[in-house]
Amino acid sequence: MIRFDYKKPDSLGDCLDLLDFYQGKARIFAGGTDLLVEFRADDKKLRDVEVVIDISKLPELAFIKSDEESITIGAGTTFAEILNDTVLLKFAPFFSEACRTVGSPQIRNTGTIGGSIGTASPASDPGPPLVAMDSFLTLVSPNGRREVLLCDFMEGAYRTIIKPDELIVSVKFRKLNPDAGFSFVKLGRRKALAIARMNVAAYVETGVDGTVKDVRIVPGSCMPITRRIEEAENMLLGEKPNYELHAAIGKKVSEKMVEASGRRWSTPYKEPVIATLVKRALNQAAGVE
Amino acid sequence: MVKIKLKMTVNNKNVETEIEPYARLLDVLRDKFGFTGVKEGCGIGECGACTIIMNGKKVNSCLILAAQAQGSEILTIEGIENPDGSMHPVQEAFLEKGAVQCGFCTPGMVISSYQLLNENPDPSDNEIKEAISGNLCRCTGYKQIINAVHMAADNMKK
Amino acid sequence: MPLMGKKNYRHLNKRVNRVDAADKITGRAVYAADISLPGMLFSGCLRSNYAHAEIVEIDTAKAKAIKGVHAVLIAGDVPKSQSWADYPFLCDGRVKYIGETIAIVAAETETLVEDAIKAIEVKYRELDGVFTIEDALEENAVQVREKGVGLKDGVPCKNTKGNIFYDSYYALRKGDVEKGFEESDFILEREYRTSYVEHSYIEREACVVVKDQSAGLVTAYASAQNPFFTRRYLADAIQAPINKCRIVQKTLGGSFGGKEELVGLIVGRAALLAVATDRPVKMVMTREESFLESAKRHPFVFKYKAGLKKNGQIVAWEGSQVANSGAYNNQTQYLACRAAIHSAGVYNIPHIKTDTYGVFTNNIHSGAMRGYSSPQIIFAQEQFINEIAKEFGFDEIELRKQNILKQGNLTATSQKLTEETITLEMVDHMVKRTEYFRKKKEYAGTHGSEEKRKGIALVTCYRGCGYGAETPDAGAALVTAIEDGTVLINSGLAENGQGLKTAYTQIAAEGIGCTPDVINFVGVDTHSIPDSGMTVASRGTVMGAQSMRKAAIELGDMLRVTAAQQLGVKPEEVDIENNEYYVIGSKPLKKTSMANVCNTRLWTGKSMAAFNWSEPEDLGIDHLTSQGDAFPTYSYGVVVAEVEVDMETGFVDVLKVSSGHDVGTCVNPDTVEGQIYGGIAMGQGFGVTEEVPVNKGVLSSLNFDSYIFPTSIDVPEMDAVIFECEDSAGTYGAKSLGEPATEAVGAAIAAAVADATGKPVRELPCNLERTFLGRSLEKERR
Repeated sequence: MIRFDYKKPDSLGDCLDLLDFYQGKARIFAGGTDLLVEFRADDKKLRDVEVVIDISKLPELAFIKSDEESITIGAGTTFAEILNDTVLLKFAPFFSEACRTVGSPQIRNTGTIGGSIGTASPASDPGPPLVAMDSFLTLVSPNGRREVLLCDFMEGAYRTIIKPDELIVSVKFRKLNPDAGFSFVKLGRRKALAIARMNVAAYVETGVDGTVKDVRIVPGSCMPITRRIEEAENMLLGEKPNYELHAAIGKKVSEKMVEASGRRWSTPYKEPVIATLVKRALNQAAGVE
Repeated sequence: MVKIKLKMTVNNKNVETEIEPYARLLDVLRDKFGFTGVKEGCGIGECGACTIIMNGKKVNSCLILAAQAQGSEILTIEGIENPDGSMHPVQEAFLEKGAVQCGFCTPGMVISSYQLLNENPDPSDNEIKEAISGNLCRCTGYKQIINAVHMAADNMKK
Repeated sequence: MPLMGKKNYRHLNKRVNRVDAADKITGRAVYAADISLPGMLFSGCLRSNYAHAEIVEIDTAKAKAIKGVHAVLIAGDVPKSQSWADYPFLCDGRVKYIGETIAIVAAETETLVEDAIKAIEVKYRELDGVFTIEDALEENAVQVREKGVGLKDGVPCKNTKGNIFYDSYYALRKGDVEKGFEESDFILEREYRTSYVEHSYIEREACVVVKDQSAGLVTAYASAQNPFFTRRYLADAIQAPINKCRIVQKTLGGSFGGKEELVGLIVGRAALLAVATDRPVKMVMTREESFLESAKRHPFVFKYKAGLKKNGQIVAWEGSQVANSGAYNNQTQYLACRAAIHSAGVYNIPHIKTDTYGVFTNNIHSGAMRGYSSPQIIFAQEQFINEIAKEFGFDEIELRKQNILKQGNLTATSQKLTEETITLEMVDHMVKRTEYFRKKKEYAGTHGSEEKRKGIALVTCYRGCGYGAETPDAGAALVTAIEDGTVLINSGLAENGQGLKTAYTQIAAEGIGCTPDVINFVGVDTHSIPDSGMTVASRGTVMGAQSMRKAAIELGDMLRVTAAQQLGVKPEEVDIENNEYYVIGSKPLKKTSMANVCNTRLWTGKSMAAFNWSEPEDLGIDHLTSQGDAFPTYSYGVVVAEVEVDMETGFVDVLKVSSGHDVGTCVNPDTVEGQIYGGIAMGQGFGVTEEVPVNKGVLSSLNFDSYIFPTSIDVPEMDAVIFECEDSAGTYGAKSLGEPATEAVGAAIAAAVADATGKPVRELPCNLERTFLGRSLEKERR
């Protein structure tokens, strides 16, 4: 296990001073549910770490704020806080649902959304709904702040573009239509304490004429980088939701997956099954049998 | 690395010790304070044998840094029983319903059940299963544990 | 219907609270890893990263130089690096599997142990390895062990070289199988396979070993399933006389057969360090180490061929059952004996020819795991029976009823079943109770769906109780009464979590006549009672408790003599109720308390202790034909599983399992039900999700994030059905349950999956990929 020192700043400002001081030899510590597992496993990417900076109790980072147009969630907000929040249940129920399936009740009480985003596991559950909502992150460093689209933030499995002296302070997304259809479908090997074999976040908004005005489709745990599949989404825009079309869109997503990842050992399974999961997610979101 | 002076409240008693910054709360509770009822099954937050209640929330103590617990209120299995040493209704129910075999998951199960009944005095089967979904058991198949939680809920209402 | 509760016992058939539950519920129970002794050092193991390699050089100098490190030992530093049981305390020369221990370290703190292990420098020269059963059987395969033999004419042959573990070869020959096939109207051949499975007890292996200078004694407090077995390793490691070696079993957090070799090895290692450092030494495995070095369930490849007559009678059965033993092994030879005996299922077949053996490969050793081959075998056989039924147009239930063993039949070893055998009643009852035929029809209605299909299946099995012909099922018990009327009972068999202490308390209470609450069961301390063999083979109640029963009865008789004297009557006129002896029929009741009786006996110099060593009848089969009386009696099981299969993802949702077991006499319904429920969950894991994928010796699952077994939300609706019958072999008529409780569940689930999908299941587990694609993708994984 990697041994490290521990600092607990009283404010975001103090935290930034520490990041500045330690320059890459520090890691931000929120819930610790990913980080401590990695330290215990002597993870290569943590070999140079000398200190953890505990932000878990910073009030500046634990909040769920909503205004007319958008919702902002502090990076230090736990999954338990997220999944019970009434505003999120109204405007982003697929995100609430995704957070509900993370780990276990114990993990959800300490794990944070910022930590999850920072870990960038390809099997992330909150990732697909956040990407579906075109979320962006606010990153803060001693030298300033920047905003990055979530799907640009991720570089690949467990890799992000975060700089050594940066921390994620919040994730923000525009409110979608609360009356539209949301779904989060997760396939795991068991029903709890399960890492997603694959998952899908979908959003389908129809107009008065019954045709689709806005659609988001984000498959998880199957692309090198989790992103909206626009070619698939375009197939549904302007159309009326229906089973056969959803099945075809599922196939399109699986095509894009193979295009992006190539044929790997798991492809014979993943290729047909992601198509099914996308179809089901769209059926659920659109209320189609 | 400089050691940290840790002060917290465990099972209603104030305790104090010096710890390494990287020490796990699980190890501090077991090795420094003798609360060996808190068990380690996997070390990665999967099995829940190390479940304790920290500031009113149940957590896996193998994934909590002791340093994070500064000033916290901790409840372990040793603190569940009544002050006079008699068993809490949850514990009585586990005994009556045959809900214990090897016993290694039992402290974590009791903590999760206890916490559930604090928040939800009349849980359904599904709510009980959900509450213990982060506590793995290899012996019992969970059924008698669920029966025990129902019994405890009934007894606590009286 | 012989369900439960028709027998008339004082303390059996009763839901007595477990005697060890309160300590576990309050956190007071002490498990081995909870122990801390003054001056204690921590320890750890350096493990090989190669599956097959020569150790060219080990340099421990840097490790030894670290301040606070007290000892670093390699094979050359210890008197005996290979244990009595084939497994090495420390690897000498050639590593044969990934995870093998090369060096051990003792230091002041756990962090220093880590530092020391990292500082040991090892140079390896990698060698080619062999990993699968098929590869191991190839001619000219890499030879893993000197003693391995090859095949000749399809069976293991002593005079050849290869990878077969010859001592594990059991041939079963009953009747004339060629003749049987000639007489058959229908013949079918199939192949099945199972994977590596991990016990996954929640408590990891742990021990603390301490030298007692004054007594020349070494004591190990250990999470030992079999304390005497562990003691043998302790004495062996430090080359000490066994009467100076002591194992005190602490509360055990589950074992299921897994805490045998590895606990012996860590006790041996910690003892070597304790001797080298003159300090108590603690050794606790991490979960990853437990995956790497603890025994796994034997993977098997089964080939079966059966011949039937037109009317459905099975007349011929031929097969091979080949297990993957790993690089070191001291279990397959016993396991193969059981596997051979049960190699033709619970069926009455006149002509049988099977061959069972294990092969060496560069993998972790396979060992005992609940069932000891039965879950694998029953899976294969029951799928095969269903495939036969489907192929030739028989009903699956009728085919079983027609062929199932009944009282008076001869088993595969030609043993006559003389005890009451309620197989047909059990099948009929379970069929009715589960509404089998109605559901089968209803579920068939879902078989056209592309999305979700339901299936139901019934499987039957039996199990020889106790050790049987493997090893003499003998054991000791000591029952002692004390002046205040309380009783101490001591057994050579151990509480592993299965409820042995409670069962024995009830059995002793039954024998003495007192109430269970005045009895205290002392945990196993090898200094206090003779070696009674291992707590395995579900022998605890059926055979192991015979000595407890007899000693208790003897003590009861002793006390009654004194009670009679005190009451002025003959012993036959005295009975006991609520710990008071009374004259039968006396009005007013003439009585004297048990405490009075014991007090009198103490002060008049009369014995209050009864020791019993109980030996079974002679049993035996031979390696070449496996014919003979194999077990004192048999437990029977009928399990019905209902599943829903998601055809588009391969997810198997187990909806309900109804598990019926003939336990002879049910000592305690709570603990019996607990075993059945737990057995269902373990069987669900075995059938659907549990697999340690091993590729060229590399385990790709080392902890519970990737090794998947059921949570509270995954387990099905469970119905535990307890049957009783009249059986003369076991203690108060009790039969085995611990392993029967799980051994047919995986088979039932797999059969239900096959019913749902319409495709046979020939490989376990039925995980997402296998159920959806019909094959595992593990071989393709790099």
